[in-house]
Amino acid sequence: MNATAERSEGPAGMSWFLKVWVVLLVLTAVEIFLAYEELPVHIMLILLMGLSLIKAAMIVAYFMHLRYERTSLAWTLVPATIFVLVMMCVFFSDSLRIVRLGLFLH
Amino acid sequence: MHDSSKPTTEHHHSPPQGFLWTHVFSLDHKVIGKQYYFLSLAAVLIGMVLSWLVRFHLAWASAAIPGLQYLSKVGAPGGIITPEYYLSLLTLHGTLMVFFVLTTAPQAGFGNYFLPIQIGAEDMAFPRLNMLSFWVTFVGFVVLISTLFVSDGPPISGWTAYAPLSAIGTDAGPGLGTGQVLWVISIGFFCIGSLLGALNFIATTLDLRAKGMTLARMPYTTWAWFITAVLALLAFAVLLPACVLLALDHLGGTSFFIPGGLVVSDKLQPHSGGSTLLWQHMFWFFGHPEVYIAIIPGLGITSHILTATARKDILGGTRVLVGCMVSIAFLSFMVWGHHMFISGMNPFSSLVFSVPTLIITIPASIVTLNWIGTVFGARLRLHTPGLFAIGFISVFVTGGLSGFFLAQPSLDIYLHATYFVVGHFHMVMGVAAIFGMFAGTYFWFPKMFGRMMSETLGKIHFWVTFIGVYCIFMPMHYLGLAGNVRRYSAFVDDYLAPLIPVHKFITIAAFVTGAAQLLFLFNLFWSMYRGKKAEENPWQATTLEWTVPSPPPFDNFGGRHPVVYRGPYEFAVEETKDDFVMQDSPQQPARS
Amino acid sequence: MSELEVVVTGGQEIWRGGESPYAIPSKKLGMWLFIVSDSITFGAVLFCYAYLRLASPDWPTPFRLASIENATIMTFVLLSSSVTMVAAVEAAKAGRIASSVRWLGATMLGGVIFDVLHIREWLGLIHEGLRLYHNDWGSSLFGAAFFTLTGLHMTHVTIGVIYLFIVATGFRRGKFTSDDVEISGLYWHFVDLVWMFIFPLVYLLSARIR
Repeated sequence: MNATAERSEGPAGMSWFLKVWVVLLVLTAVEIFLAYEELPVHIMLILLMGLSLIKAAMIVAYFMHLRYERTSLAWTLVPATIFVLVMMCVFFSDSLRIVRLGLFLH
Repeated sequence: MHDSSKPTTEHHHSPPQGFLWTHVFSLDHKVIGKQYYFLSLAAVLIGMVLSWLVRFHLAWASAAIPGLQYLSKVGAPGGIITPEYYLSLLTLHGTLMVFFVLTTAPQAGFGNYFLPIQIGAEDMAFPRLNMLSFWVTFVGFVVLISTLFVSDGPPISGWTAYAPLSAIGTDAGPGLGTGQVLWVISIGFFCIGSLLGALNFIATTLDLRAKGMTLARMPYTTWAWFITAVLALLAFAVLLPACVLLALDHLGGTSFFIPGGLVVSDKLQPHSGGSTLLWQHMFWFFGHPEVYIAIIPGLGITSHILTATARKDILGGTRVLVGCMVSIAFLSFMVWGHHMFISGMNPFSSLVFSVPTLIITIPASIVTLNWIGTVFGARLRLHTPGLFAIGFISVFVTGGLSGFFLAQPSLDIYLHATYFVVGHFHMVMGVAAIFGMFAGTYFWFPKMFGRMMSETLGKIHFWVTFIGVYCIFMPMHYLGLAGNVRRYSAFVDDYLAPLIPVHKFITIAAFVTGAAQLLFLFNLFWSMYRGKKAEENPWQATTLEWTVPSPPPFDNFGGRHPVVYRGPYEFAVEETKDDFVMQDSPQQPARS
Repeated sequence: MSELEVVVTGGQEIWRGGESPYAIPSKKLGMWLFIVSDSITFGAVLFCYAYLRLASPDWPTPFRLASIENATIMTFVLLSSSVTMVAAVEAAKAGRIASSVRWLGATMLGGVIFDVLHIREWLGLIHEGLRLYHNDWGSSLFGAAFFTLTGLHMTHVTIGVIYLFIVATGFRRGKFTSDDVEISGLYWHFVDLVWMFIFPLVYLLSARIR
């Protein structure tokens, strides 16, 4: 029950969270705008993934308060998750190859 | 002698009342640990019988097994196993052994029982979640066994359930309809049980350590269970969605893993767009960490028992051993493609995967060399747990060495899917990990049941098993080099016929070794009721589980809260007349 | 020699026991670990979707403006429900129980609206011929990936609404603490976080441009 005694003070008041909310909405609007811009697919992917990562990071850091917890918690949770997700990117070497070799899946 | 500190109230719960809450839905980690252990025992017995059926058929392919036709009229007409049923039995054998034995007993069985005690806690962090995890796993087990009794039998796709065989359905063979769906459901439940158990272990290890129990002072087994739990949390998270997608291919008509244009049993399959490689990637991304989940507790148990056997800490101590286990765990996420060298995946990936696969041999070798260095020159106490711990070193080396060969794509092109691979993974998983479980059983039995197991029966069990497993699995390496393909139910090709006598030898060795396991079973159950009464610390070991009564009371430490003053393996110290000192003994200022 | 001196090495304080190294209750750590695991699960399904889409030359992009608008509203609703969730946690920590329960109610309402809009969208797409195993526009995997990903997410939202309901009623009755409200908030924000990836990768990348 007193394990939270050392929880550090977060941002004061709701106004800060509302600011985060507005930024998230703006970033979402940017994403929608980009979707209709007919950019090359790989550029689109990089931009959308990048924006999504920023939005996710903001939710984790502020709404989920991770920025204001002990740094060791973030170091425990985040690198392991990212490492596993990044390793799965190796799968793509085969999906792209399937297309390049003309081995359509139909 | 035992010191205490201020109690924490956050994780306190009172003793249970009533039969159901005490013995069935118990929240006590010790009861849950035993439940997992006995579930694994049931699984290993069924798995062993299945292996006997398989081995019998390989040696005498046209002979009948009397009575088998009652289990499956279609699969074993007249008692003779059909090629398809052979694969069904093999699939169930592998699935039971890998999941319900190797992933369950060393981690959820022993880990649940001893992790809280070793860190000085009353119970796990989440007792109700713990109980739920067991029953979810149990449901998975029942669902898996039920495949034996459905019309088509268990699936024929192996424990690896490769697509498209596992995804197409009954057009591709028996057991691939209901059987495969039940398999998927079973493994899905198992994933959930494992994930919940993993987060329990991690939270417990981090939060519930007693005063003075720094991470550096944790015993090797606690470290092993903790690292394994981290692996399980990350790896099972990938198997679960893979199973969901496979289930959808069956039940939803999707084609996640089924490409277009497949004609099976003269029928064009109504699927297109999917990728069979995708299943292999998802499965092995889980599958490789999984085999380390199976072995790391064994590394911990062996190290732990070796200290009490050799009367000294492992060479290199906690830093080196834990550093190696962490390296192995980290690297285990980078090597999964070595199961896919000849799958048709991107050939460049093969190079990329073989490098970390070879690198992972380094920490494994360091651990092994440090064990050998520990045993060398030590005054060994060769009781049964010590024998199994030393035996572990031998079988781990044997199994690991064949891995060096398989790690190289150029060699694997020839060796993949031969008996060389079967020999390799059985030595490391089917022997080494099992030796870890035997060592743990003999070592901790006195603590769990308050009685000693018979040393005589134990030694007979050890020697027959040790020699027996070499007789079974060493010849498999030669079979593989000779080109003997795995998962064949009969060897009718010219080049394979001369190998049948080898298979006969292996089968006979398997039956003899199996008989020794029945001896172990007898020893286990007989000793529970008739074994010599055990004292608190029969092996004169140093860690906290040996400071509590045998068996421990409900809250482990009887209301006191241990304080840890020392490292986990302080042997050969000058201050006591014994050659060891307990971890919670404050006679002198701590050295580590 | 005092007990404290005996556990000290080299002037450093050794582990005191009885608290978390992260200064959070074990339940909260447990929820974070669950979130790590569930992120990897969703990540794996997203990777499957990406893999199959990259390997398919006939991936359809059927979402008309109305679909994108609907999905945008859903995104807005979910993001807003995250803010109401934060308000609920802040109120709970300040001891304002009734206020916190009201904010939890608003969050649940956001979740329900999200689900309703989602089901409505599904029904519309099914009416147009989209199935798990087939559609008239291109690769059959489009429906498979779409329904699986969004179905998995919707299940999490629904479970979240039920979870919040249990926490709200329990908190009001004094059975749960503000910690429990905060922990349920972590789950809710996670569900929102996953949608931050699903919305662009599934909806925006499948928008019909012309």
